[in-house]
Amino acid sequence: MFERFTKTAREVVLQAINVEAAALGARTVEAEHLLLALSQTIGVEHDTLIKALEAETAASLNAVGVSLRPHPSPSQTRQPRMGASAKIALHRALEMALARGDREIRAEHVALGVLAADVGTVPRALAIAGLDREGLAAKL
Amino acid sequence: MSALDGTQPKPEDALAAVGALRRLADRVEDDAVERALADGWTWLRIAEALGVTKQAVHQKHAKRLKEK
Repeated sequence: MFERFTKTAREVVLQAINVEAAALGARTVEAEHLLLALSQTIGVEHDTLIKALEAETAASLNAVGVSLRPHPSPSQTRQPRMGASAKIALHRALEMALARGDREIRAEHVALGVLAADVGTVPRALAIAGLDREGLAAKL
Repeated sequence: MSALDGTQPKPEDALAAVGALRRLADRVEDDAVERALADGWTWLRIAEALGVTKQAVHQKHAKRLKEK
């Protein structure tokens, strides 16, 4: 699948796996880790996205009556596997590149794939942070 | 808890909460296993406390904790 990805798009995926998901102690790489790796591509500060994701987790847990106390991150992390939401986002990136007649998958296509989801952690976090998901996608 | 006091969360919030709870449980488990090992617990004892087999807990954590 990655043979059509540009160097930058590959770097985004590798950063999502080895930096973003790993830093959060995640077992799987999800769309939100791609989003974090794409912060420059979409023009939103990394820190803003981290805070948005934290707020989304707190809000979701709160909806079922669970309040989150800060919990230490594990000091020794594993190599995360690709998770379902990241796979869907990458698949969408491929479809969007094809639909646009582009031969290569660029970081912008990955960003479009991530931003296309209207349910899940990414759109919820962006909404909580007051970021316009469709507006961000339109600028790509 | 809102689900128990009669007010039901919206499906999108409840579904998102399931994901958040799984991620939270994973983090709590990773941290707790790490600290139990540091305190000298055996894999068998950790497995029994978690309610899973020794093989399961070993497979999930041994590689991760050895790589450091």
